[in-house]
Amino acid sequence: MEITETTSDGLKRELKVKIAASELNERLSKRLDELKTQVNLKGFRPGKVPVDHLRKVYGRSVMAEILEQTISESTQKAIADRKERPAFDPDISVTENSEEIEKVIAGDSDLDYTISFEVLPEIKLTDLTKLKLEKPVVEVTDEEVDNSLKRIHEDAVSYKKKDGKADDGDQVTIDYEGKIDGKAFDGGKAEDAPVVLGQGNFIPGFEEGLKGVKAGDKKTIDCTFPKDYLAKELAGKKAKFDVAVKQVAEPELAKLDDEFAKKLGYDTLAGLRDAVEARVKEEYESVSKARVKRELLDSLDKAHKFEVPATLVEREFESVWQQVNDELEKAGRTFEDEDTTEAKARKEYEELAERRVRLGLVLSEIGEKAEVKITDEEVNQALMERVQQFPGQEREVFEFYQKNPQAVAELRVPIFENKVVDHILEQASVNDKKVSVDELLKAGEEDEAA
Amino acid sequence: MNRLEAYDVILSPAITEKSTMVSEHNQVVFNVRRTATKPEIKSAVEQLFNVKVKAVNTLNRKGKIKRFKGILGKRSDVKKAIVTLEDGQSIDVTTGL
Repeated sequence: MEITETTSDGLKRELKVKIAASELNERLSKRLDELKTQVNLKGFRPGKVPVDHLRKVYGRSVMAEILEQTISESTQKAIADRKERPAFDPDISVTENSEEIEKVIAGDSDLDYTISFEVLPEIKLTDLTKLKLEKPVVEVTDEEVDNSLKRIHEDAVSYKKKDGKADDGDQVTIDYEGKIDGKAFDGGKAEDAPVVLGQGNFIPGFEEGLKGVKAGDKKTIDCTFPKDYLAKELAGKKAKFDVAVKQVAEPELAKLDDEFAKKLGYDTLAGLRDAVEARVKEEYESVSKARVKRELLDSLDKAHKFEVPATLVEREFESVWQQVNDELEKAGRTFEDEDTTEAKARKEYEELAERRVRLGLVLSEIGEKAEVKITDEEVNQALMERVQQFPGQEREVFEFYQKNPQAVAELRVPIFENKVVDHILEQASVNDKKVSVDELLKAGEEDEAA
Repeated sequence: MNRLEAYDVILSPAITEKSTMVSEHNQVVFNVRRTATKPEIKSAVEQLFNVKVKAVNTLNRKGKIKRFKGILGKRSDVKKAIVTLEDGQSIDVTTGL
């Protein structure tokens, strides 16, 4: 086997490999010898077939097999000998000329082929302990906890029957039948429908028309469907609703006490309050964590400037670009609608792709150095979370992952990333910075883009 | 005998363990037509393979009687010819014609 390097440009490598015909023939005879004991040819007892005859019958197919094997073996060896890490599976190109291939298969000429690949760049990691990060922290105030508690409280409103006229905020139970030009239409009829006035959940004019009704009233309400109504055939049409009022009820707030807490599954009001506080804290914590991560990635991106394998970037870009285009198409929009041109967006996403590849390389390098490992347990947990995202199809999803180790491998990626980030955060100096809630959330929205 | 008739005489080469053994003695084995005679075989082989034939031995292998669900069946009979070539002559039967 002879290897010559034809190109070595930046991260790109191209090798020419030559394998002598004699070497191939040797391999062929060895393989035929092995086959000899196994094949069952007519006219011969097993194992008694002369090699010459075997070569005539099976030579071609065995040779093709050997070529394939030799190519993959020698490629691996060639790259391993160079002590370089390829960024992806190397491209192997054998001559297209069928005559030449024929000759190689016949064992008459040498096998020539080229390997082209890109190597992973040497990554010089910066000193992680020197990274300085700021973690935005929000103090959870009592006020805020009270606010969310109040919201929970208000959501849990119950209605109590009342005599008299319906007002804003009251719940009215009605039977109604809607007609357009004297004809009933689909979905325009209901019985015992609860309507809370003043919330604007129904078409404009309907709730207003119900204002002031009493139990037992019958009324006809004229109203117009809005032009952008979801059901197209109804949009913009005038309709008459015959309404029979069955009951008028006023909202009654439950008392905010231990009793209320019990209804929600807590022992005391204080317990409920603690739970709410913990939840609010957790929400902010996750946002601030995301921010630190973002900041960390930014600084890593800045600290590591090295050439990135172009093919990897291209692949990443292709997948991102595909996704973007699909989304645009689904939404029925063009780049012009988004205030940008295709070329501009292309450039933007190319940069994004490069950043992702770069960070991916850096993170995996750090992870490798720090010997970050993922346990099966963590994978299982992620799998369970994933499965739960498809309620009703848990079994199918689970089976899909069982059958596709590849998909499970994909699950590992974010786990690994998070672990590495945690590892870096441990090493880097992280300063807490107090910020207001608004600041934190605003920054959090920007993170979505990353 | 013309070339086409020669093809009718020689049906196929017999490639078996035994035929490879006799090939060491410059002999080739063919399956031939049941009614073919030794002189016919000789001229057919000489014509088709461009060789000199020293001698032809023939044998009739009778087909076995086989029963399937009690019904008798018979495998067809085969005539084989063992053709001895003159020294220095050879036929590569596996490449075909």
